[in-house]
Amino acid sequence: MKYDVVIIGGGMTGLISSIYLSSKGLKTAVVSKGDPVCSISSGCIDVAGDFQGIPDDHPYTMAGREKVRSALMYFKEIMKDAGLPYWGEVFENRSIYTPIAKKRETCLVPFSMKNADGAKGKSLHIISFQGMKDFFPGYFKEDTSDFNCSLFDAGTLTTVGIATKFDDPAFREQFILWLKECRIQEEFIGIPAVLGTKNPQKLIDQIELVTGCKVFEIPTLPPSMPGLRLFRKLKSYSSLQGVDFFWGHGISEITEEENLVTSLIIDQPGRPTIIEGRSFILTTGSFVSGGLFAEKESIRETVFNLPVSIPPGKPRLNDSFFDTEQPLGRAGIRVSSHYQPVDSPWKNIFVAGSILENSQIMKYHCGHGLAIVTGLDAAENCEEYLK
Amino acid sequence: MRKSYEHCIRCTICVENCPVFKVNPQYPGPKQAGPDAMRFRIEGEKKVDSWISLCTQCRRCEQVCPHDVKPATLILQAQMEYVKYNGAKPTQIIFSNFHFISHLASFFAPVANFATSLTIVKKMMKLVGLRDDIPFPRFSFRTMQRNKVKPEQGKRKAVFFHGCYLNGNAPDTGRNIVRLMQDLGVEVLVPPQVCCGLPALGNGNEKKAKSFAQKNAEIFASKVEQGYDIIYACTSCGHTLIHSYPELAGEKGKMIAENSWNIYEYIEKLINEKQLVLKLKEVKKVVSYHVPCHLKGSGKPYPALGLFHSIPGIELHVMDDNCCGFSGSYGFKKKNRETTERLGKIAVKAHLESNPDVIISDCGACRMQIENYTDVRVCDPIEILKESLE
Ligand SMILES: Cc1cc2nc3c(=O)[nH]c(=O)nc-3n(C[C@H](O)[C@H](O)[C@H](O)COP(=O)(O)OP(=O)(O)OC[C@H]3O[C@@H](n4cnc5c(N)ncnc54)[C@H](O)[C@@H]3O)c2cc1C
Repeated sequence: MKYDVVIIGGGMTGLISSIYLSSKGLKTAVVSKGDPVCSISSGCIDVAGDFQGIPDDHPYTMAGREKVRSALMYFKEIMKDAGLPYWGEVFENRSIYTPIAKKRETCLVPFSMKNADGAKGKSLHIISFQGMKDFFPGYFKEDTSDFNCSLFDAGTLTTVGIATKFDDPAFREQFILWLKECRIQEEFIGIPAVLGTKNPQKLIDQIELVTGCKVFEIPTLPPSMPGLRLFRKLKSYSSLQGVDFFWGHGISEITEEENLVTSLIIDQPGRPTIIEGRSFILTTGSFVSGGLFAEKESIRETVFNLPVSIPPGKPRLNDSFFDTEQPLGRAGIRVSSHYQPVDSPWKNIFVAGSILENSQIMKYHCGHGLAIVTGLDAAENCEEYLK
Repeated sequence: MRKSYEHCIRCTICVENCPVFKVNPQYPGPKQAGPDAMRFRIEGEKKVDSWISLCTQCRRCEQVCPHDVKPATLILQAQMEYVKYNGAKPTQIIFSNFHFISHLASFFAPVANFATSLTIVKKMMKLVGLRDDIPFPRFSFRTMQRNKVKPEQGKRKAVFFHGCYLNGNAPDTGRNIVRLMQDLGVEVLVPPQVCCGLPALGNGNEKKAKSFAQKNAEIFASKVEQGYDIIYACTSCGHTLIHSYPELAGEKGKMIAENSWNIYEYIEKLINEKQLVLKLKEVKKVVSYHVPCHLKGSGKPYPALGLFHSIPGIELHVMDDNCCGFSGSYGFKKKNRETTERLGKIAVKAHLESNPDVIISDCGACRMQIENYTDVRVCDPIEILKESLE
């Protein structure tokens, strides 16, 4: 099997790259060991905590402000086209709730979370489900002028179970009937994000119609439906554009000729699957997804064994996890302005996403944003290379 | 090397993808049933996790895990341990030996089909734990083995692994596959063979699975040595040949794994090697493709897609997010009825959204299940390809 581009890693970064490149008529494959972090994320696109304070060595700086803007607009267009539209302005943050009710800032949100931004200090009604795991309405009482909550008996306790029930029209109808009985007086209604495994917009519209309230979904702890909806949409969008997926196994071997990588061999039982490519984009993520692997003394990049930049001096991990900066968060692959790894023997590989050096996702709150921006930028550079 | 379950970071990606967890609150999902529970499964201790049999072995969890934890494999081990310590249930004995039942029932097909439709037999089936609300698969006297397609000389030589379903329950489809491959210039042999062993594994009988696998490995490896390729159409058999045979049948098993081809993958290979040019005629149909879990688990692009996308006039919808819920013998058991029904309805509803003329699937059990919930025609993909080649 021969491709113009082989993308390694099926996360936010890899999928955005694949959508762009296949739309340009390039034969594209994605090889991924497993599902990405996106599918357990809140589904909201964090672009940056505040747009100040991004240092010169951050990938955003390399991409430039204009690229950040155009990449996020591109993402919004894709999502609209895919039937899961996103809301928000590119350089403005808005607030959403976390599952423990603390508000947090993010940039683009699925429409189902649009109304959370205005709820601060207003009257709020939380609707939850009897016995639902890890969701406590009491947390949300702070910061409201008036608070109330009601529990619906969904007959099951987990986010996945309840969301699956909401996919069934008969269950939705039952829920709406119950909701009418509740006679909710508050201005806002917050519901944990379990209103279906697919885009819940129609149901939310219906809830707003029967209650007269402004409704929003609240992200849950993983498993997380908004993250799953986002990932599945991107993957199926990419697949409909003709991208081939090799999913579920890592890579056992790479072959090279002079200064080019020529093919990958997939680590799976039976006959070896050989994937030839003219170019490769590495988007295997950071430690959580296994793109980087920390050993006792060193950090390894798991596909090409590229050199990993680590900030000099010790310690790599600070004791206090959230309060201070984690030097380990800077570890990653150093690239040129064309997203090509420095100190690598190969000319036809590109690197993007959270595996990049200095991305510091936790510090700058830039997870999916960085993935989208660098994923698109690297793809454009790869396209240029192929010309 | 750390044990695979110690790599689990508890991200819950597997849980998001487990069909049973979606609809059955009694099942704790692959994370808890697999890696979490492993720490409490102590060698030699009595096994008390009877709920472990709620896993269908669809293996979706293994495909999505980013850390090489193999939840379904851990669960399968636990399922076998449970049977070892607590004894097999009647249904488990029946399905471990489905190969023999299938042979017997086909031989007495008219009687067997009549018998399974009788109220008294249904009552007995219910008593041992089988469902009486869905028809038992009908058996055919003219099995693939008993009524073989005459082999014709061809440029390439292949042996067909038909599995139990095509042999005993849908032999006409099986014969259509063989004929079509022969028309494409492949000489196809159908050697005597036994069950691939998957039902035995899934019902806790590793010994039986090994004996099936070794027998098949013996027969097919000798054909491989004579220059034959192995082709299969049932994706669950195929998954077993490739993923389980190296372990179940040693070196010969490995040979089977390396030389087995999905029929569409094989056709594509012939096209790529310029041994075959296909002239596909228009098929004006909306086709919804139900991708079986065990095909999804192959980890590669679905081999039939390349061919089907080049059929003029076809509108193809590829559906791979939903497990049909049947999972071979799982769906015949009374205790699984609700889970199976819920999943079946979810899958069929998704198919009907595109208003298809026909739903296709490579797996006989998936087809049987889908037919339970819709009047839309359900068939093997080969029937559409055949139509396009006629
Ligand atoms: C729990 C959690 C919640 C988060 N929530 C948010 C949020 O709400 N909003 C936000 O903006 N950001 C969030 N983030 C951050 C954000 O999800 C990530 O920074 C971003 O999605 C990274 O995307 P990526 O494509 O670069 O990498 P990943 O998503 O990590 O994807 C990497 C992919 O590569 C595959 N892979 C790894 N190694 C190999 C290999 N050797 N061979 C083949 N494939 C391989 C993996 O299986 C995976 O599919 C969250 C992060 C975590 C951990």
